[in-house]
Amino acid sequence: MRKRTLKRGLTGFWWFTLAFLYLPLAVVVLFSFNASNSAASFTGISLRWYRQLMGNEEILSAFANSMVLAIVSSVIALGIGCLIGYGMYRHRHRKLGWLIVLIYLPIVLPDIVFGISEMAFFVQIHRLTGLFQPGLGTMIIAHVTFQIPFVALIVYSRFVGLDPTLFEAAKDLYATPVKRVIHFMLPTIKPALISAFFLSFTLSVDDFVISFFTAGPESATLPIYIWGAIKKGVSPEINAIATLMIGAVAIAAIVSLMFSRRRQA
Amino acid sequence: MTDSLTLDTGEASRAAAQQTESAEPTREASSIEMQGLHKRFGRDTVALDGVDLVIEAGEFFTLLGPSGCGKTTLLRILAGLEEADDGRLAIGGRDVTETPPHKRSVNTVFQSYALFPHLSVRENLAFGLKMRGMPPADREARVAKIAEFIHLGDLVDRRVDQLSGGQRQRIALARALVNEPDVLLLDEPLSALDAGLRSQLQVELLRVQKRLGMTFVFVTHDQQEAMVMSDRIAVLNGGVIQQVGPPREVYEHPANAFVARFMGHDNLYPISARDGDRLTTPLGVLSAEAAGEGGLLLIRPETLDLLPGEPAGDNQLPATVSERLYRGSHAEYRLEVGESTLQATLNNRGRHLPEVGDRVTVRVAPEDLVTLSE
Repeated sequence: MRKRTLKRGLTGFWWFTLAFLYLPLAVVVLFSFNASNSAASFTGISLRWYRQLMGNEEILSAFANSMVLAIVSSVIALGIGCLIGYGMYRHRHRKLGWLIVLIYLPIVLPDIVFGISEMAFFVQIHRLTGLFQPGLGTMIIAHVTFQIPFVALIVYSRFVGLDPTLFEAAKDLYATPVKRVIHFMLPTIKPALISAFFLSFTLSVDDFVISFFTAGPESATLPIYIWGAIKKGVSPEINAIATLMIGAVAIAAIVSLMFSRRRQA
Repeated sequence: MTDSLTLDTGEASRAAAQQTESAEPTREASSIEMQGLHKRFGRDTVALDGVDLVIEAGEFFTLLGPSGCGKTTLLRILAGLEEADDGRLAIGGRDVTETPPHKRSVNTVFQSYALFPHLSVRENLAFGLKMRGMPPADREARVAKIAEFIHLGDLVDRRVDQLSGGQRQRIALARALVNEPDVLLLDEPLSALDAGLRSQLQVELLRVQKRLGMTFVFVTHDQQEAMVMSDRIAVLNGGVIQQVGPPREVYEHPANAFVARFMGHDNLYPISARDGDRLTTPLGVLSAEAAGEGGLLLIRPETLDLLPGEPAGDNQLPATVSERLYRGSHAEYRLEVGESTLQATLNNRGRHLPEVGDRVTVRVAPEDLVTLSE
């Protein structure tokens, strides 16, 4: 009897936690469909805020910036992170712990410190060489730097999970170094690469702080636009953007999770 | 020796010959010659300490020894997965000491099988042929032929993760054989299987080797398996070859105490004095027909006879039965002879099998006694 009560209590706690996490999001989603102007009352379902969104040049350009930034930075991070992950795997038996800490430092560093450092660095370089004009270019570089550790970790853990003899079997079966990459390594880590890409994409779309410090006047992303817009008060339009972002990030996260879960025995 | 280690100049024609289809998966077998192979890991671990060995073409050759004896290192050097620090290696008369693995016509059946998880069984089988640039149609034909030869049946259409251990083993064998290599290397390929399946696959492997006439180099730590399979065995310890010979020779005339113990012999006794053929041992004085130089006497358990009553003559020893393991086809005895113990194996041929506590006489045949050095 007491066991049952406990079980019910724990189940209740689970639902409470879920509600705690998702109610605020639900409110945003709900009010994005609000027919009324007011955030105080819900008067009926309407798509007017989404329609208004589609007509807003500023938002569309911010959305385009976000997408370009996320896709380009993810692709670059995938290439570099993949090489680092493989390097970490190949040299895992050496005492390279300190190097790995070095690669992971950007993850644990507060975003604001990281963002300010990037900005200061770009400003200095720009002053000296004229390169690195703040804008999408600098944002891409900044995003790549924080995406790399995640990609490297995912690729590394996929390699560690493999039977090391497979690498030797590929050599033994006449595969040249290039053919080993094409016919063995890349196909074998493909799920990890897909997972890493979508994780990087999500991280990039989510990021506000680092983007804020490295952006130029023309390169506002959605989070930067929202930040600017809410200074004038939260409009239902913002709720609509937020809802779309929740949807996009959720899809990317689910795809990432699906591929990282997919085990190949 | 040096003559056969010269480089084959007809390398291109040779490579072309490998690409052509043969009616049967048989081709001329290749010999292997090793000269002074040394291998060291780190500063202190010596894996191979000067290995000179010739493996004849078409031989089923086994590298036998305990773990860490260097047998796997030697196999990996043959495969090209490890490079020797010193020494030369020739396969089929061609020096391959510095040839990378993907350029050697040698294939390996790995202990873990190492089937590619991202590929189907069929793609696994065709992998080597594809890497060598064989057109798809020819690949399919070769895969179909090997699948028939190894009796794979519908296994070819399965996914790798749907296969059992024994099935994986056979796919791994087929994946190596389909390339028709000069030499097939097998790294303890049966060690992960249970006893019944293991002896079944031993027989199958042996049949495959005899039918193909290919040179097989087999690594194992199991002396029974080595004796069943091999034309010749090399026993290794501490990176040094202790003895090379056919199974009977290695078992019946071990070169030293290490080989004797590794082949499962326990009846080893120091010879404290000798007078012609008469050897003084802790068991008593025994005459041996062809006593060699060594200071150790080996008595094989299956050569002993147990008689009732007291000793009456030469080479008969009084003993007490302290243990009997009845095994159906035979019985294993532990006997106390004075301060020493002696193992004996008796065939069960309807005769009397003495029991624990019985006083018996052990008869040692002079022609079965072997001496060896420590």
